[in-house]
Amino acid sequence: MSAGHSIPLVDFLILGALLFCLGLFAALRRSNAIMILMGIEVMLNAVNINLVAFSRYLPRGAARGQGFAVFVLAVAAAEAAVGLALVIIVSRRRGAIAIEAINDMRG
Amino acid sequence: MAAFVFLGAVTLYSAWRVATAPLVTHAALFLATTFAGVAGLFFLLQADFLAAVQLLLYAGAVMTVVIFAIMLSEMRDIQEPVVPGWLGTLRSPALGLLPLAGAVLLCVVLLVVYLHGAQGLPGTPLPAPQNSTAFIADVLFNTYAFPFEVASVLLTAAMIGAIVLTRVEGGGRR
Repeated sequence: MSAGHSIPLVDFLILGALLFCLGLFAALRRSNAIMILMGIEVMLNAVNINLVAFSRYLPRGAARGQGFAVFVLAVAAAEAAVGLALVIIVSRRRGAIAIEAINDMRG
Repeated sequence: MAAFVFLGAVTLYSAWRVATAPLVTHAALFLATTFAGVAGLFFLLQADFLAAVQLLLYAGAVMTVVIFAIMLSEMRDIQEPVVPGWLGTLRSPALGLLPLAGAVLLCVVLLVVYLHGAQGLPGTPLPAPQNSTAFIADVLFNTYAFPFEVASVLLTAAMIGAIVLTRVEGGGRR
């Protein structure tokens, strides 16, 4: 794959930053719990792009970046499973998953 | 470079649509495209093991769970309320322009930092490892063996938690 050879590291970092900001925007803008979880998944993917890029370009981070990315993947999978289970149980009990409607514990 | 620009554009556009698509199902499909684009970027970075895992785990498993959640919570056809007026689709129903402002601010700060420090960052990648799977296995099973076990306990706990949470109380045969 010779296409990857002339791209400087900072391009991958900028792409990761843009993707992270889009995920943040999605997570903050939506009022629907599933959509918020989707935004969080996009943010975690942006972090993974940075980690893998570091592992490809920096000698000290060589293998660790990819190892960390595997851990991020595992945590993201756990988060998706529990988060979506909570969404399902809330929608089953309330009939809605707009987060404004779930404010019983507001002080 | 062309592959990088193409994959980056696909990833960013579909992430943008995840943020703005009015229908939940459309946002979920664009999320799958985002995951596939990120997998392509991993291939470009010669992390082929992670690219395969990304496709299997994100574009496969996480997307299946998301779509199941959408179907089970019966919100397939629910549309986000669109706020009329200036920058209509970019406004949040609850918070107005605050999310957009926060995201743009963070983005500007990050870009300034990166472009300021771009000289100190390497421009060419290291020589690729012969076998990226063995490379990761060495990290996971030697350097980070204990965190790896903790991660597996976390996944088991999450799986049991999800089953317990969504179990129908009193229903079903014991």
